[in-house]
Amino acid sequence: MRGLEYFEVECVEPVGRETYAQIADDILSDLNLNQSIGRLHIFIDPEVPLFLAVGVIKQMPGLVYIRDFASALGKETGVVLDIGTERYLSPMLSILWDKYGRDLITQPDRFTVNILIPGLDPREIEDLMVVDPSEGMYHDIIYALQWIAPEGFKVRRQTIGEGQFSYVASENTLDKEKIDVLLREKFALVGVSA
Amino acid sequence: MTVLVPITYKGGVYRHDIVIDLIDDLGGYIVQKHMIAQEVVLQSLVPKDDIELIRAISRPLAGVVTEAPLVGTEIAVLSPSLEIHHLPHTSCDVAEYLRSAGAKTNMIGLARGFGKRIANLNLEERDIINEHDCVVFMLGNFETCIEYKMPALRRGITVPIILSGRPSTEALQRIIDPPVAGYVGGIGRVGHRMKRQEGEIDRLDALVQEVSRVLSQKREEVAKDPLSVNPARLMTVLDDAMDITSRSTHPTPITVQIRGLRVKLPYDSYAHAIAAIEIENGVRIGDITHILPSRMRDYILIQIRPFSETKIIV
Repeated sequence: MRGLEYFEVECVEPVGRETYAQIADDILSDLNLNQSIGRLHIFIDPEVPLFLAVGVIKQMPGLVYIRDFASALGKETGVVLDIGTERYLSPMLSILWDKYGRDLITQPDRFTVNILIPGLDPREIEDLMVVDPSEGMYHDIIYALQWIAPEGFKVRRQTIGEGQFSYVASENTLDKEKIDVLLREKFALVGVSA
Repeated sequence: MTVLVPITYKGGVYRHDIVIDLIDDLGGYIVQKHMIAQEVVLQSLVPKDDIELIRAISRPLAGVVTEAPLVGTEIAVLSPSLEIHHLPHTSCDVAEYLRSAGAKTNMIGLARGFGKRIANLNLEERDIINEHDCVVFMLGNFETCIEYKMPALRRGITVPIILSGRPSTEALQRIIDPPVAGYVGGIGRVGHRMKRQEGEIDRLDALVQEVSRVLSQKREEVAKDPLSVNPARLMTVLDDAMDITSRSTHPTPITVQIRGLRVKLPYDSYAHAIAAIEIENGVRIGDITHILPSRMRDYILIQIRPFSETKIIV
Protein backbone atom coordinates (compact mmCIF):
# COMPACT_ATOMS: atom_id res chain seq x y z
CA MET A 1 0.00 0.00 0.00
CA ARG A 2 1.23 3.47 -0.83
CA GLY A 3 2.42 5.56 2.08
CA LEU A 4 2.89 2.70 4.55
CA GLU A 5 6.34 1.49 5.58
CA TYR A 6 4.99 -1.96 6.36
CA PHE A 7 1.70 -3.52 5.39
CA GLU A 8 0.91 -7.19 5.59
CA VAL A 9 -2.26 -9.27 5.62
CA GLU A 10 -1.88 -12.74 7.07
CA CYS A 11 -4.47 -15.37 6.26
CA VAL A 12 -4.49 -19.06 5.41
CA GLU A 13 -6.62 -18.47 2.33
CA PRO A 14 -4.52 -16.73 -0.36
CA VAL A 15 -7.55 -15.34 -2.22
CA GLY A 16 -8.98 -13.84 0.97
CA ARG A 17 -5.60 -12.38 1.89
CA GLU A 18 -5.25 -10.66 -1.45
CA THR A 19 -8.79 -9.26 -1.34
CA TYR A 20 -8.50 -8.00 2.20
CA ALA A 21 -5.22 -6.23 1.34
CA GLN A 22 -7.13 -4.49 -1.46
CA ILE A 23 -10.09 -3.64 0.81
CA ALA A 24 -7.78 -2.19 3.49
CA ASP A 25 -5.97 -0.15 0.87
CA ASP A 26 -9.23 1.24 -0.56
CA ILE A 27 -10.71 2.10 2.81
CA LEU A 28 -7.60 3.70 4.30
CA SER A 29 -7.15 5.81 1.17
CA ASP A 30 -10.83 6.80 1.23
CA LEU A 31 -10.45 8.04 4.79
CA ASN A 32 -7.05 9.68 4.09
CA LEU A 33 -5.43 7.53 6.76
CA ASN A 34 -2.61 6.02 4.69
CA GLN A 35 -0.47 9.07 5.46
CA SER A 36 -1.10 8.83 9.21
CA ILE A 37 -0.59 5.09 9.70
CA GLY A 38 3.03 3.96 9.44
CA ARG A 39 2.86 0.21 9.90
CA LEU A 40 -0.11 -2.15 9.76
CA HIS A 41 -0.46 -5.88 10.20
CA ILE A 42 -3.79 -7.63 9.71
CA PHE A 43 -4.32 -11.23 10.77
CA ILE A 44 -7.46 -13.11 9.70
CA ASP A 45 -8.42 -16.61 10.73
CA PRO A 46 -11.71 -17.55 9.00
CA GLU A 47 -11.85 -20.82 10.93
CA VAL A 48 -12.40 -19.21 14.40
CA PRO A 49 -13.41 -16.65 12.92
CA LEU A 50 -11.12 -13.84 14.03
CA PHE A 51 -10.02 -10.50 12.63
CA LEU A 52 -7.03 -8.81 14.24
CA ALA A 53 -5.22 -5.64 13.25
CA VAL A 54 -2.25 -3.96 14.91
CA GLY A 55 -0.48 -0.84 13.74
CA VAL A 56 1.72 2.10 14.46
CA ILE A 57 0.65 5.68 13.92
CA LYS A 58 3.26 7.56 11.92
CA GLN A 59 2.46 11.14 12.64
CA MET A 60 0.02 12.71 14.99
CA PRO A 61 -1.57 15.83 13.55
CA GLY A 62 -0.76 18.94 15.59
CA LEU A 63 -3.21 20.99 17.66
CA VAL A 64 -5.01 23.76 15.80
CA TYR A 65 -4.87 27.28 17.28
CA ILE A 66 -6.78 30.35 16.16
CA ARG A 67 -3.53 31.82 14.79
CA ASP A 68 -3.31 28.93 12.32
CA PHE A 69 -6.33 30.04 10.36
CA ALA A 70 -7.10 33.64 11.43
CA SER A 71 -5.33 36.84 12.40
CA ALA A 72 -6.41 39.01 15.34
CA LEU A 73 -6.26 42.78 15.36
CA GLY A 74 -6.73 44.95 18.45
CA LYS A 75 -9.21 47.83 18.01
CA GLU A 76 -10.86 50.30 20.38
CA THR A 77 -14.04 48.22 20.48
CA GLY A 78 -12.26 44.94 21.04
CA VAL A 79 -10.57 42.35 18.84
CA VAL A 80 -11.34 41.79 15.15
CA LEU A 81 -10.59 38.34 13.76
CA ASP A 82 -9.87 38.05 10.05
CA ILE A 83 -10.63 34.46 9.07
CA GLY A 84 -8.36 32.84 6.48
CA THR A 85 -10.10 29.48 6.07
CA GLU A 86 -13.56 28.67 7.33
CA ARG A 87 -12.84 25.04 8.18
CA TYR A 88 -12.47 25.60 11.93
CA LEU A 89 -14.93 28.50 12.18
CA SER A 90 -17.67 26.50 13.82
CA PRO A 91 -15.62 25.06 16.73
CA MET A 92 -13.93 28.46 17.18
CA LEU A 93 -17.27 30.25 17.52
CA SER A 94 -18.44 27.69 20.07
CA ILE A 95 -15.33 28.26 22.16
CA LEU A 96 -15.59 32.05 21.95
CA TRP A 97 -19.29 31.95 22.85
CA ASP A 98 -18.57 29.80 25.89
CA LYS A 99 -15.69 32.03 26.97
CA TYR A 100 -17.08 35.52 26.36
CA GLY A 101 -20.84 35.08 25.88
CA ARG A 102 -22.87 35.11 22.70
CA ASP A 103 -23.85 38.78 22.87
CA LEU A 104 -20.21 39.93 22.77
CA ILE A 105 -19.35 37.96 19.63
CA THR A 106 -20.62 39.30 16.33
CA GLN A 107 -20.02 38.11 12.81
CA PRO A 108 -20.76 40.86 10.26
CA ASP A 109 -19.70 38.68 7.35
CA ARG A 110 -18.29 35.20 6.62
CA PHE A 111 -14.65 36.20 7.11
CA THR A 112 -14.90 38.58 10.06
CA VAL A 113 -15.61 37.89 13.72
CA ASN A 114 -15.66 40.69 16.34
CA ILE A 115 -15.10 40.18 20.04
CA LEU A 116 -16.59 43.29 21.62
CA ILE A 117 -14.42 43.53 24.75
CA PRO A 118 -12.25 46.68 24.83
CA GLY A 119 -8.64 46.15 25.91
CA LEU A 120 -8.53 42.44 25.08
CA ASP A 121 -5.08 41.21 24.01
CA PRO A 122 -5.20 39.96 20.39
CA ARG A 123 -2.21 37.59 21.01
CA GLU A 124 -4.10 35.91 23.79
CA ILE A 125 -6.98 35.24 21.40
CA GLU A 126 -4.68 33.88 18.69
CA ASP A 127 -3.21 31.41 21.18
CA LEU A 128 -6.55 29.77 21.95
CA MET A 129 -6.61 26.08 21.00
CA VAL A 130 -9.62 25.20 18.85
CA VAL A 131 -9.35 21.59 17.72
CA ASP A 132 -7.35 18.53 18.68
CA PRO A 133 -7.30 16.55 15.40
CA SER A 134 -5.87 13.45 17.07
CA GLU A 135 -9.25 12.82 18.71
CA GLY A 136 -10.84 12.72 15.29
CA MET A 137 -8.05 10.52 14.00
CA TYR A 138 -8.49 7.92 16.75
CA HIS A 139 -12.15 7.83 15.86
CA ASP A 140 -11.32 7.52 12.15
CA ILE A 141 -8.84 4.68 12.68
CA ILE A 142 -11.32 2.63 14.71
CA TYR A 143 -14.05 3.37 12.18
CA ALA A 144 -11.75 2.29 9.33
CA LEU A 145 -10.96 -0.99 11.09
CA GLN A 146 -14.63 -1.67 11.78
CA TRP A 147 -15.25 -1.10 8.09
CA ILE A 148 -12.36 -3.31 6.95
CA ALA A 149 -13.27 -6.15 9.31
CA PRO A 150 -15.95 -8.58 8.10
CA GLU A 151 -19.40 -7.49 9.17
CA GLY A 152 -21.05 -9.23 12.10
CA PHE A 153 -17.89 -9.50 14.20
CA LYS A 154 -19.52 -7.77 17.12
CA VAL A 155 -17.35 -9.04 19.95
CA ARG A 156 -14.61 -6.43 19.86
CA ARG A 157 -11.56 -5.36 21.81
CA GLN A 158 -9.78 -2.25 20.74
CA THR A 159 -6.97 -0.09 22.08
CA ILE A 160 -5.56 3.13 20.72
CA GLY A 161 -3.08 5.67 22.01
CA GLU A 162 0.64 6.36 22.42
CA GLY A 163 1.33 5.97 18.76
CA GLN A 164 -0.12 2.49 18.35
CA PHE A 165 -3.46 0.76 18.01
CA SER A 166 -4.98 -2.69 18.02
CA TYR A 167 -8.36 -4.05 17.00
CA VAL A 168 -9.60 -7.59 17.57
CA ALA A 169 -13.04 -8.72 16.47
CA SER A 170 -14.93 -11.98 16.27
CA GLU A 171 -18.48 -13.27 16.41
CA ASN A 172 -17.46 -15.67 19.18
CA THR A 173 -16.22 -14.97 22.68
CA LEU A 174 -12.61 -13.79 22.77
CA ASP A 175 -10.27 -15.67 25.08
CA LYS A 176 -8.33 -12.90 26.80
CA GLU A 177 -5.13 -14.87 27.34
CA LYS A 178 -4.94 -16.23 23.81
CA ILE A 179 -5.68 -12.81 22.35
CA ASP A 180 -2.97 -11.20 24.51
CA VAL A 181 -0.40 -13.69 23.23
CA LEU A 182 -1.54 -13.13 19.64
CA LEU A 183 -1.46 -9.36 20.06
CA ARG A 184 2.09 -9.44 21.47
CA GLU A 185 3.19 -11.63 18.58
CA LYS A 186 1.64 -9.37 15.95
CA PHE A 187 2.78 -6.14 17.61
CA ALA A 188 6.35 -7.50 17.39
CA LEU A 189 5.90 -7.72 13.61
CA VAL A 190 5.18 -3.99 13.38
CA GLY A 191 8.15 -3.22 15.61
CA VAL A 192 6.41 -2.73 18.98
CA SER A 193 7.63 -4.81 21.87
CA ALA A 194 5.76 -5.10 25.16
CA MET B 1 -46.40 -20.30 -32.34
CA THR B 2 -43.94 -17.45 -32.96
CA VAL B 3 -40.77 -17.48 -30.91
CA LEU B 4 -40.35 -14.27 -28.97
CA VAL B 5 -36.81 -13.12 -28.21
CA PRO B 6 -35.82 -10.47 -25.70
CA ILE B 7 -34.25 -7.28 -27.05
CA THR B 8 -33.34 -3.83 -25.81
CA TYR B 9 -33.96 -0.81 -28.03
CA LYS B 10 -31.99 2.34 -27.24
CA GLY B 11 -32.62 5.52 -29.16
CA GLY B 12 -33.70 9.12 -29.05
CA VAL B 13 -37.09 10.35 -27.91
CA TYR B 14 -37.78 11.80 -31.35
CA ARG B 15 -40.32 9.59 -33.20
CA HIS B 16 -39.73 6.62 -30.96
CA ASP B 17 -43.48 5.99 -31.09
CA ILE B 18 -42.84 4.52 -34.56
CA VAL B 19 -40.78 1.76 -32.96
CA ILE B 20 -43.40 1.21 -30.25
CA ASP B 21 -46.13 0.85 -32.89
CA LEU B 22 -43.94 -1.43 -34.96
CA ILE B 23 -43.26 -3.81 -32.07
CA ASP B 24 -46.97 -3.81 -31.31
CA ASP B 25 -47.92 -4.54 -34.95
CA LEU B 26 -45.41 -7.37 -35.18
CA GLY B 27 -47.04 -9.05 -32.19
CA GLY B 28 -44.26 -8.22 -29.75
CA TYR B 29 -44.59 -6.83 -26.24
CA ILE B 30 -42.93 -3.90 -24.53
CA VAL B 31 -42.08 -5.06 -21.06
CA GLN B 32 -40.52 -1.87 -19.80
CA LYS B 33 -40.08 1.64 -21.14
CA HIS B 34 -37.55 4.08 -19.69
CA MET B 35 -37.37 7.72 -20.66
CA ILE B 36 -34.10 9.17 -19.46
CA ALA B 37 -33.68 12.80 -20.55
CA GLN B 38 -33.44 12.59 -24.36
CA GLU B 39 -33.07 8.82 -24.45
CA VAL B 40 -35.61 6.04 -24.62
CA VAL B 41 -34.87 2.46 -23.60
CA LEU B 42 -37.41 -0.20 -24.48
CA GLN B 43 -37.10 -3.68 -23.04
CA SER B 44 -39.19 -5.81 -25.35
CA LEU B 45 -40.03 -9.30 -26.50
CA VAL B 46 -40.31 -9.47 -30.29
CA PRO B 47 -40.72 -12.24 -32.90
CA LYS B 48 -37.31 -13.67 -33.77
CA ASP B 49 -37.71 -13.24 -37.53
CA ASP B 50 -38.51 -9.54 -37.28
CA ILE B 51 -35.43 -8.28 -35.43
CA GLU B 52 -33.80 -7.24 -38.71
CA LEU B 53 -36.93 -5.30 -39.70
CA ILE B 54 -36.89 -3.40 -36.40
CA ARG B 55 -33.17 -2.70 -36.92
CA ALA B 56 -33.83 -1.40 -40.43
CA ILE B 57 -36.67 0.87 -39.37
CA SER B 58 -34.86 2.22 -36.32
CA ARG B 59 -31.62 2.97 -38.20
CA PRO B 60 -32.73 6.40 -39.52
CA LEU B 61 -33.80 7.26 -35.96
CA ALA B 62 -30.30 6.38 -34.68
CA GLY B 63 -31.78 3.59 -32.58
CA VAL B 64 -29.76 0.55 -31.57
CA VAL B 65 -31.27 -2.90 -31.13
CA THR B 66 -29.35 -5.36 -28.99
CA GLU B 67 -30.24 -8.78 -27.68
CA ALA B 68 -30.85 -8.66 -23.95
CA PRO B 69 -31.09 -12.19 -22.59
CA LEU B 70 -32.69 -11.26 -19.27
CA VAL B 71 -35.68 -9.19 -20.44
CA GLY B 72 -38.88 -10.44 -18.85
CA THR B 73 -37.23 -11.82 -15.72
CA GLU B 74 -37.21 -10.63 -12.14
CA ILE B 75 -34.05 -11.45 -10.23
CA ALA B 76 -33.32 -11.14 -6.53
CA VAL B 77 -29.82 -9.89 -5.71
CA LEU B 78 -29.11 -11.02 -2.20
CA SER B 79 -26.67 -9.06 -0.08
CA PRO B 80 -25.76 -10.28 3.43
CA SER B 81 -26.83 -6.87 4.80
CA LEU B 82 -27.34 -3.27 3.76
CA GLU B 83 -24.32 -2.05 5.75
CA ILE B 84 -21.36 -0.15 4.32
CA HIS B 85 -19.39 -3.44 4.17
CA HIS B 86 -21.52 -4.80 1.34
CA LEU B 87 -22.98 -1.70 -0.22
CA PRO B 88 -22.70 0.09 -2.52
CA HIS B 89 -19.90 -1.51 -4.44
CA THR B 90 -20.37 -5.17 -5.31
CA SER B 91 -24.12 -5.43 -4.78
CA CYS B 92 -25.00 -2.31 -6.75
CA ASP B 93 -22.52 -3.14 -9.52
CA VAL B 94 -24.07 -6.57 -9.91
CA ALA B 95 -27.65 -5.27 -9.77
CA GLU B 96 -26.86 -2.56 -12.30
CA TYR B 97 -25.11 -4.97 -14.63
CA LEU B 98 -28.03 -7.40 -14.57
CA ARG B 99 -30.38 -4.51 -15.32
CA SER B 100 -28.29 -3.53 -18.32
CA ALA B 101 -28.91 -7.07 -19.62
CA GLY B 102 -32.65 -6.40 -19.32
CA ALA B 103 -33.55 -7.96 -15.98
CA LYS B 104 -35.62 -6.34 -13.28
CA THR B 105 -33.53 -6.75 -10.16
CA ASN B 106 -34.59 -6.35 -6.56
CA MET B 107 -31.85 -6.04 -4.01
CA ILE B 108 -32.57 -7.90 -0.81
CA GLY B 109 -30.44 -6.98 2.18
CA LEU B 110 -30.82 -9.66 4.80
CA ALA B 111 -31.46 -8.67 8.39
CA ARG B 112 -28.87 -11.15 9.67
CA GLY B 113 -27.05 -12.52 6.67
CA PHE B 114 -23.59 -11.37 7.75
CA GLY B 115 -20.97 -13.23 9.76
CA LYS B 116 -20.22 -16.94 9.70
CA ARG B 117 -21.95 -18.79 12.54
CA ILE B 118 -24.59 -16.11 13.10
CA ALA B 119 -25.81 -15.86 9.48
CA ASN B 120 -29.43 -16.78 8.88
CA LEU B 121 -32.45 -16.14 6.73
CA ASN B 122 -35.86 -15.26 8.12
CA LEU B 123 -39.20 -16.43 6.79
CA GLU B 124 -40.18 -13.15 5.19
CA GLU B 125 -36.87 -12.98 3.33
CA ARG B 126 -37.26 -16.59 2.20
CA ASP B 127 -40.78 -15.97 0.89
CA ILE B 128 -39.78 -12.80 -0.95
CA ILE B 129 -36.84 -14.57 -2.60
CA ASN B 130 -39.14 -17.41 -3.68
CA GLU B 131 -41.32 -14.91 -5.55
CA HIS B 132 -38.48 -14.24 -8.02
CA ASP B 133 -37.27 -16.16 -11.07
CA CYS B 134 -33.87 -16.77 -9.53
CA VAL B 135 -31.64 -15.40 -6.81
CA VAL B 136 -28.01 -14.27 -6.98
CA PHE B 137 -26.25 -14.86 -3.65
CA MET B 138 -23.51 -12.30 -3.17
CA LEU B 139 -21.23 -13.85 -0.60
CA GLY B 140 -17.78 -12.88 0.58
CA ASN B 141 -14.11 -13.65 0.29
CA PHE B 142 -13.45 -16.76 2.38
CA GLU B 143 -14.17 -20.32 1.30
CA THR B 144 -14.50 -21.44 4.92
CA CYS B 145 -17.24 -18.89 5.62
CA ILE B 146 -19.18 -19.52 2.42
CA GLU B 147 -19.13 -23.26 3.03
CA TYR B 148 -20.28 -22.82 6.63
CA LYS B 149 -23.06 -20.27 6.15
CA MET B 150 -24.54 -21.44 2.84
CA PRO B 151 -26.81 -24.17 4.34
CA ALA B 152 -28.39 -21.57 6.65
CA LEU B 153 -28.93 -19.05 3.87
CA ARG B 154 -30.38 -21.44 1.30
CA ARG B 155 -32.85 -23.15 3.63
CA GLY B 156 -36.33 -23.20 2.07
CA ILE B 157 -35.37 -21.45 -1.15
CA THR B 158 -37.07 -23.11 -4.09
CA VAL B 159 -35.95 -20.86 -6.96
CA PRO B 160 -32.60 -21.48 -8.73
CA ILE B 161 -29.64 -20.08 -6.78
CA ILE B 162 -26.62 -18.53 -8.51
CA LEU B 163 -23.80 -18.29 -6.01
CA SER B 164 -21.13 -15.64 -6.37
CA GLY B 165 -18.14 -15.15 -4.11
CA ARG B 166 -14.48 -14.22 -4.25
CA PRO B 167 -13.06 -17.78 -4.39
CA SER B 168 -12.75 -19.25 -7.88
CA THR B 169 -15.74 -20.85 -9.59
CA GLU B 170 -14.13 -24.29 -9.16
CA ALA B 171 -13.62 -23.70 -5.43
CA LEU B 172 -17.28 -22.70 -5.04
CA GLN B 173 -18.40 -25.79 -6.92
CA ARG B 174 -16.23 -27.92 -4.67
CA ILE B 175 -17.50 -26.58 -1.35
CA ILE B 176 -21.25 -26.37 -1.99
CA ASP B 177 -23.19 -29.52 -1.31
CA PRO B 178 -25.86 -30.18 -2.55
CA PRO B 179 -25.01 -28.20 -5.70
CA VAL B 180 -26.83 -24.99 -6.63
CA ALA B 181 -27.91 -23.95 -10.13
CA GLY B 182 -24.97 -21.68 -10.98
CA TYR B 183 -21.60 -20.50 -9.71
CA VAL B 184 -19.58 -17.38 -10.49
CA GLY B 185 -16.26 -16.94 -8.75
CA GLY B 186 -14.19 -13.79 -8.48
CA ILE B 187 -16.98 -11.47 -7.30
CA GLY B 188 -16.59 -10.89 -3.58
CA ARG B 189 -16.56 -8.02 -1.18
CA VAL B 190 -14.51 -5.09 -2.51
CA GLY B 191 -14.01 -1.51 -1.37
CA HIS B 192 -14.20 0.15 -4.74
CA ARG B 193 -16.38 0.24 -7.84
CA MET B 194 -15.84 -2.65 -10.20
CA LYS B 195 -14.50 -0.99 -13.33
CA ARG B 196 -11.28 -2.80 -14.24
CA GLN B 197 -11.84 -4.88 -17.35
CA GLU B 198 -9.83 -7.85 -16.16
CA GLY B 199 -11.03 -9.55 -13.01
CA GLU B 200 -14.00 -7.22 -12.52
CA ILE B 201 -16.06 -6.36 -15.63
CA ASP B 202 -15.32 -9.76 -17.16
CA ARG B 203 -16.58 -11.41 -13.96
CA LEU B 204 -19.82 -9.42 -14.23
CA ASP B 205 -20.13 -10.59 -17.85
CA ALA B 206 -19.63 -14.15 -16.63
CA LEU B 207 -22.38 -13.61 -14.07
CA VAL B 208 -24.83 -12.39 -16.73
CA GLN B 209 -23.97 -15.45 -18.83
CA GLU B 210 -24.45 -17.80 -15.91
CA VAL B 211 -27.79 -16.21 -14.95
CA SER B 212 -29.00 -16.43 -18.57
CA ARG B 213 -27.92 -20.08 -18.72
CA VAL B 214 -29.86 -20.91 -15.56
CA LEU B 215 -32.93 -18.97 -16.69
CA SER B 216 -32.88 -20.56 -20.16
CA GLN B 217 -33.04 -23.93 -18.43
CA LYS B 218 -35.99 -22.65 -16.42
CA ARG B 219 -37.68 -21.39 -19.60
CA GLU B 220 -37.15 -24.80 -21.22
CA GLU B 221 -38.76 -26.47 -18.21
CA VAL B 222 -41.75 -24.15 -18.51
CA ALA B 223 -41.98 -24.80 -22.28
CA LYS B 224 -42.48 -28.53 -21.62
CA ASP B 225 -45.82 -27.69 -20.07
CA PRO B 226 -46.60 -24.29 -21.62
CA LEU B 227 -48.31 -21.55 -19.66
CA SER B 228 -51.93 -20.78 -20.44
CA VAL B 229 -50.94 -17.27 -21.49
CA ASN B 230 -47.64 -15.58 -22.20
CA PRO B 231 -46.75 -13.35 -19.20
CA ALA B 232 -45.91 -10.42 -21.48
CA ARG B 233 -49.30 -10.74 -23.15
CA LEU B 234 -51.04 -10.92 -19.81
CA MET B 235 -49.22 -7.74 -18.84
CA THR B 236 -50.50 -5.97 -21.96
CA VAL B 237 -54.07 -7.17 -21.39
CA LEU B 238 -53.98 -6.08 -17.77
CA ASP B 239 -52.46 -2.72 -18.56
CA ASP B 240 -54.96 -2.03 -21.36
CA ALA B 241 -57.83 -2.87 -19.05
CA MET B 242 -56.72 -1.03 -15.94
CA ASP B 243 -54.31 1.59 -17.30
CA ILE B 244 -51.80 0.83 -14.56
CA THR B 245 -48.52 1.97 -16.11
CA SER B 246 -49.59 5.50 -16.96
CA ARG B 247 -51.13 6.07 -13.53
CA SER B 248 -48.29 4.67 -11.45
CA THR B 249 -45.01 6.20 -10.36
CA HIS B 250 -43.23 2.84 -10.03
CA PRO B 251 -40.47 2.20 -12.58
CA THR B 252 -42.08 -1.14 -13.41
CA PRO B 253 -45.69 -1.09 -12.13
CA ILE B 254 -46.23 -4.50 -13.72
CA THR B 255 -43.14 -6.67 -13.58
CA VAL B 256 -42.92 -9.57 -15.97
CA GLN B 257 -41.52 -12.84 -14.70
CA ILE B 258 -40.95 -16.14 -16.47
CA ARG B 259 -44.17 -17.68 -15.18
CA GLY B 260 -46.14 -14.74 -13.86
CA LEU B 261 -46.42 -11.08 -13.05
CA ARG B 262 -45.95 -8.86 -10.06
CA VAL B 263 -48.54 -6.08 -10.04
CA LYS B 264 -47.78 -3.13 -7.82
CA LEU B 265 -51.31 -2.45 -6.66
CA PRO B 266 -52.83 -3.22 -3.25
CA TYR B 267 -54.09 -6.81 -3.16
CA ASP B 268 -57.22 -6.22 -1.10
CA SER B 269 -58.62 -3.53 -3.34
CA TYR B 270 -57.68 -4.85 -6.77
CA ALA B 271 -57.38 -8.66 -6.75
CA HIS B 272 -61.05 -9.25 -7.56
CA ALA B 273 -61.10 -6.65 -10.31
CA ILE B 274 -58.02 -8.22 -11.93
CA ALA B 275 -59.49 -11.74 -11.77
CA ALA B 276 -62.58 -10.53 -13.63
CA ILE B 277 -60.72 -9.07 -16.62
CA GLU B 278 -61.40 -10.94 -19.84
CA ILE B 279 -58.40 -11.92 -21.94
CA GLU B 280 -60.09 -13.45 -24.98
CA ASN B 281 -63.25 -15.42 -25.85
CA GLY B 282 -64.65 -15.29 -22.36
CA VAL B 283 -61.45 -16.50 -20.65
CA ARG B 284 -60.84 -14.38 -17.59
CA ILE B 285 -57.53 -13.78 -15.83
CA GLY B 286 -58.86 -15.53 -12.74
CA ASP B 287 -59.60 -18.70 -14.78
CA ILE B 288 -56.00 -19.38 -15.74
CA THR B 289 -53.96 -17.85 -12.91
CA HIS B 290 -53.50 -17.90 -9.17
CA ILE B 291 -53.80 -14.34 -7.88
CA LEU B 292 -51.93 -14.18 -4.59
CA PRO B 293 -50.90 -11.51 -2.12
CA SER B 294 -47.16 -10.85 -2.43
CA ARG B 295 -44.90 -10.75 0.62
CA MET B 296 -43.37 -7.63 -0.91
CA ARG B 297 -45.41 -4.71 0.51
CA ASP B 298 -49.09 -5.21 -0.38
CA TYR B 299 -48.48 -6.08 -4.01
CA ILE B 300 -50.22 -8.72 -6.07
CA LEU B 301 -48.45 -11.78 -7.42
CA ILE B 302 -50.03 -13.47 -10.42
CA GLN B 303 -48.91 -17.03 -11.11
CA ILE B 304 -49.98 -18.29 -14.51
CA ARG B 305 -51.18 -21.88 -14.43
CA PRO B 306 -49.85 -24.30 -17.05
CA PHE B 307 -51.87 -25.78 -19.91
CA SER B 308 -51.96 -29.19 -18.20
CA GLU B 309 -54.06 -27.71 -15.38
CA THR B 310 -56.35 -25.37 -17.27
CA LYS B 311 -56.58 -26.99 -20.74
CA ILE B 312 -56.71 -23.46 -22.11
CA ILE B 313 -54.16 -21.50 -24.13
CA VAL B 314 -54.95 -17.93 -25.09
